[in-house]
Amino acid sequence: MKTRLTYIALVLLVSTSLCQAQETLNANDPNTFIFGGDQKSTSLSVDILPVAIVDVEPDPGSFGSGGGAAADMEAGLPVTGGTAGSLDNLWLNFTHRALNYQPARIYVSTNQPVPAGMTIKVQIISVGAGGDYPKNPNYNQITLSQADQVIVYDFANGYTGDGLNNGYQLSYTIDNPGGASLPAGFEVLYRIQ
Amino acid sequence: MKTTHIFIFLFFISQYSFGQLLPGTLDVTGFPSMSQSINDLVDEAGEDDASYGFESVFDASQISFILDPYTNPITGFTTSSNQNCTANIYRYSVYMHTQNPPQNTVVQAKTTFNSGVRFPAAIPYDDLIIRPLGPRDLTPENGGAYITIPNQGNVAIKVFEFIGCREQIPIQFKINPSALAISGNSNFNVIYTVVGSLN
Repeated sequence: MKTRLTYIALVLLVSTSLCQAQETLNANDPNTFIFGGDQKSTSLSVDILPVAIVDVEPDPGSFGSGGGAAADMEAGLPVTGGTAGSLDNLWLNFTHRALNYQPARIYVSTNQPVPAGMTIKVQIISVGAGGDYPKNPNYNQITLSQADQVIVYDFANGYTGDGLNNGYQLSYTIDNPGGASLPAGFEVLYRIQ
Repeated sequence: MKTTHIFIFLFFISQYSFGQLLPGTLDVTGFPSMSQSINDLVDEAGEDDASYGFESVFDASQISFILDPYTNPITGFTTSSNQNCTANIYRYSVYMHTQNPPQNTVVQAKTTFNSGVRFPAAIPYDDLIIRPLGPRDLTPENGGAYITIPNQGNVAIKVFEFIGCREQIPIQFKINPSALAISGNSNFNVIYTVVGSLN
C-alpha cells in the first residue's frame, strides 16, 4: 500500500512539474515557423546607470547606549544598557556598479578631528558569505582621522547582501586614557568611490 | 435553382479557405529605448539592483500577423489578406528570445489579455455558435505577468497566443540589471517567432 502511494505521489509530482514548464521552441530551426508562421527581430536600446551605495548595519538607530549611535557614545564609560558586543557586530554593506569599468574603493574617515588623547581604530575582521562581489579588504587596523583611508581596496561590480553577516565585519577599538568625550555630531564616514 | 446557389456558395468558400496553413507576415514596429532613472535604482546598500528593474511604455513594440494575399496557381484567382484572414482562422503562438543582451541583465516581456486588434475587425466566424478554435482572442502566458526572455534561440519562450489574424499587439519590456551588469548604453535584438497551427 505504501509503495503504491509513493508511486502515485511520484507520478503527481512529475506531472505537476511538467504542467508548470513554460512552453519553448527552437527558434533557430526555420522548419518550426516557415509554414504558416514568421520570424522578425527588432532592436532594443537599454541605458543602465552606475550605482555606488554603502552603509553600516545594523542601522545606528537600533542601538542602545554604547552602540553605534554617535549621540549615545560616551568614551571611557562602560558599555551598559545596549546590545552586548554591538561594536563588534557591525557589518559594512555595499552595492556597486561601475561607471566605465572604473574599480571602486571604500574609504573611512571622521567628520571632525578625533579629540586629543583619544584614538579610534577600525578593522575588518571577517567577510560575510552573502552577495556576489570581489573580496579585497584591508585587514590592517586603521587609526581614524579626517583623512580618507582605504578600508576596502579596488573592487569591480558586486553587492554584499543586506544586513548582518553580509559584507565586511568591522571592529572598533577605542583608546581613551584621558576620559575625553567625543564632540557633538561626531561621525565615522564610509565613502565608496 | 437552390442547388445552383449552394454550389456557387460552396465554390466561393472553397476559393478562400484552405486545409493547410497559409503563409503570413509578421510585422514588428517600434524600437524600444529604455533608460534607468535614479528612482529605478537599488536604494539599500548590499541589495542587488536586479530586484528593482525598470519598464518600457506598455506598447514599446507592436506586432501584427496577417495572412499574405494568395494567388491560386490553377485558377489565377487572387485573394486578399482581408479575405484570407476572414476565411482561414488559425491559432498563432508567439515565442520570443534575445540576442546579445547586456551581461547579468534579465529581459522580460508581457502583453495583456485581448490586447491588439482583430483583423478584420468583424467576420462571420465571430457569429458562429460553435467556433472550432474559440473566439478570436489573445491569451498571454503566465497570466499576463512578465516572462523572462531567454538569450538562446533554441529555447525561445512562448509569451502569448491568439486566434485569427491580429494587429497592433503591444509588447511591454522590463529590464532587471544586476549590480554585476555593466553600466552604460547597449543595443540588442529581440526576436519574435510566430508559429501557426490548425488546432
